[in-house]
Amino acid sequence: MKKVTLLTIFAALMMISSAAVAQTTASGTLSVTATVNGSIQLVFNSDAAGVALTGGGTNTATLAFGNVSAFGAIGAGIVRSTTANTFTVSSAVDVQVSKTNSASANYTLNAQLGTADAVNTWSVGGVAVTSAAQSTLTATGAYAANTNFPVAITVPFTTASGTSISNTINYVATAN
Amino acid sequence: MLSKHKSIRNLALMALLCMAFSGAANAQNPTASGVINANLVNKNGISIQFDTNSSGVTLGAAGTSAATANFGAVSAFGPLSGGVTRPSVTAANYTVRTIFDVQVVQGGLASLTYTLTANLAAAAPIGLSYKVDAVTLSTASQTIQTNGGYNTDIAHNLDLVVSTAAPGAGGPAVGTPITTVINFTATAN
Repeated sequence: MKKVTLLTIFAALMMISSAAVAQTTASGTLSVTATVNGSIQLVFNSDAAGVALTGGGTNTATLAFGNVSAFGAIGAGIVRSTTANTFTVSSAVDVQVSKTNSASANYTLNAQLGTADAVNTWSVGGVAVTSAAQSTLTATGAYAANTNFPVAITVPFTTASGTSISNTINYVATAN
Repeated sequence: MLSKHKSIRNLALMALLCMAFSGAANAQNPTASGVINANLVNKNGISIQFDTNSSGVTLGAAGTSAATANFGAVSAFGPLSGGVTRPSVTAANYTVRTIFDVQVVQGGLASLTYTLTANLAAAAPIGLSYKVDAVTLSTASQTIQTNGGYNTDIAHNLDLVVSTAAPGAGGPAVGTPITTVINFTATAN
């Protein structure tokens, strides 16, 4: 009889202990879905040898040559050459294309003038650039590296002093 | 003596008749009554539900404990769906983020707060890792919050960290939806 009583007390104590330890919980599930796509990005960086860009490190930069002339003083980072009736100013400009989630080995880079320029001649990386069509600057661009594509403008001597020359060059990099 | 007995008998008969008539009169509006003893045991408990946050993607099955969050198409540089942001892009990986709400309701408890834990239902797909409030998830339970307040939506960041590597080179599969289930558990403190 004594044994039975002790066992009963022990069982009761166990139940109380278990109730005290039990925790109140609630569970839920959140299913997360995403579709990863490959992508590439183009940014302009200032080249150490060229004019410092405004907006470097982005894909919308500005290259300001400042005042240029055929024979006078010229700004830092500008390379000048002259012919009998024109002069050309150029600046090194780095282009960097990065890729993600892609097995592409290289990229093709094209450029095109935003608006036609019937007076001056434009080139990028030694390739003439107009507004008529895209010009291919390279078909084997290396990713994740700065590549210098100098921007050059050839100005006739007939251009009036104080004339402002401005245009937009649109670049398009395409993963190969 | 016999006369006395007769008198008593008559009185008794009269009393019985009176009682009988009186009962018949009362029986015109019969009534019945009963008592039921109802018992209930108020069990304490808590529940969890996921709600759409106004800054995040719209959850599927919002308001339930089994919701879905779809980031849509994600990439390091391309456009993202509404409610998805891209807080960081590095050479090695990029993070896309959305925000969702968790609401835990309790009843019958003296508990003031709850602890929220989470774990992945299965190992993360190659090239992806998942974070809730900056806690990187694995299949083991991780504590997200230790002092969650009841009966209110609490916002949590859900980050998807994507390797920039190409598929087959440590990066995730591309162009196909990848789904991972995150288990959440709220425990009353």
